[in-house]
Amino acid sequence: MVDSFSDYYWDFKGTVWRDRIDVRDFILSNYRPYEGDGSFLVGPTRRTKALWEKCLALLAEERRRGGVYAINAKTVAGITSHPPGYIDRDLEIIVGLQTDEPLKRAINPWGGIRMVEMACREYGVDLEPRVCETFHKYRRTHNEGVFAVYTDEMRALRRCGVITGLPDAYGRGRIIGDYRRIPLYGVDRLIQEKRSDLSSPELTTITVDTIRLREEVHDQILALEELKEMARSYGYDISRPARSAREAFQWLYFGYLGAIKQQNGAAMSLGRTSTFLDIYLERDLRRGAITEEEAQELVDDFVIKLRMARQLRTRAYDELFAGDPLWVTESIGGMALDGRPLVTKTSFRVLQTLYNLGPAPEPNLTVLWSRDLPRPFREFACRVSCDTSSIQYENDDIMRPIFGDDYAIACCVSAMRVGKEMQFFGARSNLPKALLLTLNGGLDEISGAKVAPEFYRAGEGPLEFEPVWDAFTRMLGWLAGKYVDTMNVIHYMHDKYAYESLEMALHDTHVGRFMAFGIAGLSVLADSLSAIKYAKVTPRFDSRGIATEFDVEGDFPKFGNNDDRVDSLARDSVVLFHEKLKEHPAYRDARHTLSILTITSNVVYGKMTGSTPDGRKRGEPFAPGANPMHGRDTHGAVASLASVAKIPYEHAMDGISYTFSITPKALGKTPGEAVSNLAGLIDGYFAKGGHHMNVNVFRRETLLDAMEHPEKYPQLTIRVSGYAVNFVRLTREQQEEVLARTIFER
Amino acid sequence: MTDHPRQTRDDTSAVKGYIHSIETMGTVDDGGIRFVLFMQGCAMRCVFCHNPDTWLRLGREVSVDEVMKEILDYKPFFEASGGGVTVSGGEPLLQHRFVRALFEACGRHGLHRALDTAGYCKHGDFESVLGCTDLLLFSIKVVDEEKHVRLTGVTNHVILANLRLAAKRGMEIVVRYVLIPAINDSDDDLHDVAALVASLEGGTVRADILPYDRMGVAKWRQLGLDCALEGVPEPTPDDIARARRIFHQHGVPLRTD
Repeated sequence: MVDSFSDYYWDFKGTVWRDRIDVRDFILSNYRPYEGDGSFLVGPTRRTKALWEKCLALLAEERRRGGVYAINAKTVAGITSHPPGYIDRDLEIIVGLQTDEPLKRAINPWGGIRMVEMACREYGVDLEPRVCETFHKYRRTHNEGVFAVYTDEMRALRRCGVITGLPDAYGRGRIIGDYRRIPLYGVDRLIQEKRSDLSSPELTTITVDTIRLREEVHDQILALEELKEMARSYGYDISRPARSAREAFQWLYFGYLGAIKQQNGAAMSLGRTSTFLDIYLERDLRRGAITEEEAQELVDDFVIKLRMARQLRTRAYDELFAGDPLWVTESIGGMALDGRPLVTKTSFRVLQTLYNLGPAPEPNLTVLWSRDLPRPFREFACRVSCDTSSIQYENDDIMRPIFGDDYAIACCVSAMRVGKEMQFFGARSNLPKALLLTLNGGLDEISGAKVAPEFYRAGEGPLEFEPVWDAFTRMLGWLAGKYVDTMNVIHYMHDKYAYESLEMALHDTHVGRFMAFGIAGLSVLADSLSAIKYAKVTPRFDSRGIATEFDVEGDFPKFGNNDDRVDSLARDSVVLFHEKLKEHPAYRDARHTLSILTITSNVVYGKMTGSTPDGRKRGEPFAPGANPMHGRDTHGAVASLASVAKIPYEHAMDGISYTFSITPKALGKTPGEAVSNLAGLIDGYFAKGGHHMNVNVFRRETLLDAMEHPEKYPQLTIRVSGYAVNFVRLTREQQEEVLARTIFER
Repeated sequence: MTDHPRQTRDDTSAVKGYIHSIETMGTVDDGGIRFVLFMQGCAMRCVFCHNPDTWLRLGREVSVDEVMKEILDYKPFFEASGGGVTVSGGEPLLQHRFVRALFEACGRHGLHRALDTAGYCKHGDFESVLGCTDLLLFSIKVVDEEKHVRLTGVTNHVILANLRLAAKRGMEIVVRYVLIPAINDSDDDLHDVAALVASLEGGTVRADILPYDRMGVAKWRQLGLDCALEGVPEPTPDDIARARRIFHQHGVPLRTD
């Protein structure tokens, strides 16, 4: 045999990772922390530029064609469904596309055939009749499974929008395969480990649970076999470990590619790969096999591939998750439990792609921020933020004690141990709507339909806080039960009909599970409760006897000004809802978590919600995530952050999203001051217990100009709520909502 | 006025002041993220005033204690960014007792204190606050006396004397000069102010050229006032470069050097 063990693992230290699948041990045994600055970084090579220019032309054409470049409406997506595709075979150093052509989208009916049919109709292509027949006649999809068992109550709650955006018609996503396992171990070793799990005592004792798990592991092995076949079609043998940095990038990317071919999940995140890949790059640099230019070139090429990933989705989906995102989230930095920073030169190289290729929403670059990170790295990241508005920051110092030092972020703000934990994604519940249901005795203020029990009914005259709050807590208790039930149905069916066999093959066989619930409209809720408590709020009833407008007399404290009177109402609502959710057991013993994250659905949730006691009018958008309501945080950014930091992470462990927008001038007089003030702002926020911060540094005028002249701003990237978008790809309505947000400019 | 040794903490924490507003993320006042307290009331009537809404002595009444409670909540931000507290206005020295009590309290908590003033007040009042100020942001409108009266409604004798006094005390000072085209940006005006700064004895003195910003004009309109600067443009980059050159000719370091 030509390949010996030492051939792959030459110069690698440590033993634990050799004996069992343990990527973390490999990283900690071999990585070299880098405490220097970005002066070693290099620009793009001519090859990179030539390749990226081809992509830019394709992306412009995609925009010209209304957002979708092409659709293959004949072939059902799968790991090996499409023949190899290339952007430019001679220029690419990392290869692999989802279909035979860049940006061409595949159809993936496993989550729901109706979504595929609708998308094809919307984009004017004919769906292969055989596909329709198969999925209507012979093979049930996740979506049909869910609707086969939904109760009338669940349907009503979903329809009125109090629990909505649920993954019951599309792939749930939010699962991160440990793609690093492929280069480190080769696929054959992974198959071997899965086979031995199948014959372990835990899996040979037959119960309903083990039957299900045995079938899943069986499917995982098939997926790994298919992945090898996919790689072979590109001329690579990934049954063995990677021997070089280039192979490591290629092997890892094949794993990710297989996953996004198999699953059209809402968020298909990459994990925490840069420091892992750095070990291979540094080894090749050490032995003189590559130069810094070639190292950066590999990173650039890899990122180009991630920027070209696409899924076919409907326009309604785009309302919830605007801008065609995939959440190719890559988590960068953080600290190791042994006190060393997990920052390497490749942490810098990945951020450098935003200069080499220009800003872009994908991959969703996420810096795991700690007060102990090396200063040069912190400053570099903040400089990139000021220049590109393309980075988000999450508090490693509060996540590390819970998730250890090898977790990654799925989607926007959801932490999980890579390859060891997964989550059942659960969108969110519209709590301002729940308050209106409370005031109206369970009647939907829009349709007038009865969707919830009556715990209270507002009468003539001003609202009194105590009875409203008391009834609201009972409403939340009731709603929590329905929410958990609905999620249990959804994830049972997703496991059954749209199981992520490749992503789960890149997990341990026995995984920890979270069930991730969510809240939308927290600041509207808090301000509404505050108005009832501190001002005089008198409902006005329509002819149906439903309170559809509220007269507010007097002022009241508003969330986002560091005023405990209202901030405590936000905090109490979160804690209460989380506690109520925990009372109801979740599918597969999942642990209940909660997020304060809307993505861009704050616009559509607002549309489905009547006027609220805080003065917000019917149909107006909510603030995104945990943000204070637009323009109501009048004491500056620090007060706004201090309010949000009061939401306790232990009760919202699926993430608390805050999107921050500031003009360059307001951040500091000179670029140097802006960078150090931004770092100070993140440090201060995180020291107070804040979890997440999207950083946007832009001028309002730039956005206004981009609305009028989108062609001038093909790469203008802004962060919205846990991810970034190409501003010019948002709908007019979403663009206007972004402009309505507080942009700190003093 | 001198420090009164028997004055207890409780005596000053109850001192009340009238404030216009609070900005928790001030970044333009030198040094990190700053809590900026805009005090209400001013005795000057500068035609280019940025905050004419602070002229009248209305505003919200707060005690030193209340403000301190909020300030201390932001300590992690100050520590992380090297920031602190700035008192601005209005003219903060019209409420020197409040400012002094606040700054003393800040001092007890190790917070950096900046005073943003035009220096138009009695020497004694001014000095009483200087003793507990770490950084003085001192605004000079124009040096020529006649022009000063025209622009601000008052003479600048006291102002210039106060500036010299602060320098003599060895304070760290940033002299701020709002550069307004055709109003105070002639070569003569600029040489005058640069020479003034260069002539200050003692202290660590820098200058900061603040390009006039038309943002204030809207506030004038809102208040129903006629803004004398209605037609005045913002300075061009060339105007600013010229001003910088003149300060440098006099050997005056600029904050943004």
